[in-house]
Amino acid sequence: MINEPQLHGSKTEELIVEAGEALRRRKPSRMVRIGDHVKREWQLYLMLLPTILWLLIFLYKPMYGLQIAFKDYSIFRGVAGSPWIGLEHFQTLFGNDQFLRAIKNTVIISFYSLIFGFPMPIILALMFNEVLHQTFKKTAQTIVYLPHFISSVIIAGIVITAFSPSAGIVNTVLEWFGGESIYFLTRPEWFRPIFVGTGIWQEAGFQSIVYLAAIAGVSPTLYESAVVDGASRWQMMWKITLPSILPTIIIMLIIRIGNMLEVSFEMIILLYQPATYETADVVNTFIYRQGIQGGQYDLAAAAGLFNAVVAFVLVMTANTISKRYSRTSLW
Amino acid sequence: MSGVTLEKIVKRYGAVDVVHGIDLEVQEKEFVVLVGPSGCGKSTTLRMIAGLEEISDGDLTIDGRHVNRVAPKDRDVAMVFQNYALYPHLNVAENIAFGLRIRKEKKDKIAAAVDEVGRILGLTPYLERRPADLSGGQRQRVAMGRAIVRRPKVFLFDEPLSNLDAKLRTQMRAEIKRLHKRLGATSIYVTHDQVEAMTLADRIVVMNDGRIEQIGTPMDLFLNPANTFVAAFLGSPPMNMVKARIADGAQGPIAQFGTQTIQLARLPELANSKGRDVILGIRPEFVTVATADTVGQVKVEVDLIETLGSEALIHASLAGDPFVIRTETVGQMAILDGISGFTIEPHLIRVFDAQTGQALPGQVLEQ
Ligand SMILES: Nc1ncnc2c1ncn2[C@@H]1O[C@H](COP(=O)(O)OP(=O)(O)O)[C@@H](O)[C@H]1O
Ligand SMILES: [Mg+2]
Repeated sequence: MINEPQLHGSKTEELIVEAGEALRRRKPSRMVRIGDHVKREWQLYLMLLPTILWLLIFLYKPMYGLQIAFKDYSIFRGVAGSPWIGLEHFQTLFGNDQFLRAIKNTVIISFYSLIFGFPMPIILALMFNEVLHQTFKKTAQTIVYLPHFISSVIIAGIVITAFSPSAGIVNTVLEWFGGESIYFLTRPEWFRPIFVGTGIWQEAGFQSIVYLAAIAGVSPTLYESAVVDGASRWQMMWKITLPSILPTIIIMLIIRIGNMLEVSFEMIILLYQPATYETADVVNTFIYRQGIQGGQYDLAAAAGLFNAVVAFVLVMTANTISKRYSRTSLW
Repeated sequence: MSGVTLEKIVKRYGAVDVVHGIDLEVQEKEFVVLVGPSGCGKSTTLRMIAGLEEISDGDLTIDGRHVNRVAPKDRDVAMVFQNYALYPHLNVAENIAFGLRIRKEKKDKIAAAVDEVGRILGLTPYLERRPADLSGGQRQRVAMGRAIVRRPKVFLFDEPLSNLDAKLRTQMRAEIKRLHKRLGATSIYVTHDQVEAMTLADRIVVMNDGRIEQIGTPMDLFLNPANTFVAAFLGSPPMNMVKARIADGAQGPIAQFGTQTIQLARLPELANSKGRDVILGIRPEFVTVATADTVGQVKVEVDLIETLGSEALIHASLAGDPFVIRTETVGQMAILDGISGFTIEPHLIRVFDAQTGQALPGQVLEQ
């Protein structure tokens, strides 16, 4: 090529350009290609359909109603007919001590749930993984999964009974050791520990399944190799198992942070009472009381929108940070 | 003396024996290859030596110490696995250092050891990379590095080259051999590939169905296979097997198959054994091709001649069984066109008992 005359070279170049042009012309447009793909793989798209419908009906269509956050909404005028009032509802909300308290409580409860609740399933999975006795392992797993399948109402009933001042097991035990009986569920300082603990009891076992699956995916030869190298079980857990499931942990953490403000609100409603609002009332319960019980739909919508925007920012931030530092991300 | 001794080693899974009492003595600095078809118990045997599988019965000694009940880490062995077993979250240097870190060696000592191993294996430019960013051959080298960095008494390899393509395998094979020369460590190497076994081993152990068929140097096994299994397993193309019956000839025993006969060597076992059924083992390399006018030839029906450059493979059949001849091509092309059969010296034919498959005694070929 180097020794060839200039003329020849430029001609070749021309040919290449021409060939590229022809290729581009023949390459079908994006829409046509997607169409072809649908035709070829229609079964896959058919299976996707129910989920898309669900998303549209239950998540996208209600977004239309979100506009009432910026309107003076009345049921009689409807969503479209109500007049726009700008950010007035947001001003009202942020002038409302109860709402500010609800935000504070949401953040604190979420934070505690994350700090104490997030590591729990991982610890459980690691512990299950160390159990060699199969029957014991299966029984223990079933027992910790069980609360997940029990209705929140019953869980709350169990908790309320357990902490009741007269017959509750907690107070009974307290009294054995010479303590005073405490009516825990009326004490604001006890609400958060009880709520977070209940959440862990209910969900940690079930959430550990994800990590157990991740652990099962680690190649056994990694452990065999480590055994020959002289690693103890403890070292293998720290140096092989944990790093191997780290991507799963990070994904779960991102999801968890995204849902952080989604405090399990039915459980709060079941456990709180006016005496504990001070520490127990969160944004969602606030919305519930204002919106559904108080009939202030527009104000409730504004509060809900605020919650959603914060959650969105949280998940975006978590994902970006994770992508930058650990090569793992949701998208 | 870092030898390894296996005495009547048995591995039992439930009621099933998969290794039936193996006896093997590996000398210090020796490179021993366990070879055999898939599922014959090679890996199980190796893993028992490593301590990854419990020994059901028998005695294992490493370096003169009885180690049946000794934990893997205290046996001072290192193992290289087929799928490399590299830690994906650690880079090359950290992977190599893993065993030393676990043993809480001093930092500067670890760094020096990793440096040296990196140099020996040509991994110095890649020390910072993760395994995912390495080629198959480089990963294989890291796996070797992890083993040699600890300077163990015994190296164990379980099909370390099986995941590589043919070219790389040849290259790594040579590298392992060179490494063994340099480090001189006792090595036990498992493979199902007879070429690997022939090229690497000081001694080969041929296994079949949980038993040892024969132990010997590569050339010894090639020239003097103890039975038809070893004869067919080693060598490529494998030894031809021809069913025949013994008869008396003018110059000692002859073998009859179909309408043809062939002269055999005067083995003591063959005296007065007219009518005995045998299997004749004939190496494709040991015969001389014959044309129509050659006297005393065995005739074959030629199907196909494969020319591989300097040599050719003649695929033929003899008395209904396939028969392969391997011959040089240089100056022979004219003969190949007119090939009608072969001749062979009687002492190059290996005679096996048809019932037991064992070679008749008294047949020894020197190299
Ligand atoms: N955990 C096990 N339980 C039962 N049988 C096994 C187990 N592991 C291996 N085997 C059997 O032991 C035999 C030998 O296996 P292996 O040593 O892996 O053969 P290979 O020579 O191919 O390495 C095989 O027949 C295999 O099916
Ligand atoms: Mg194997």
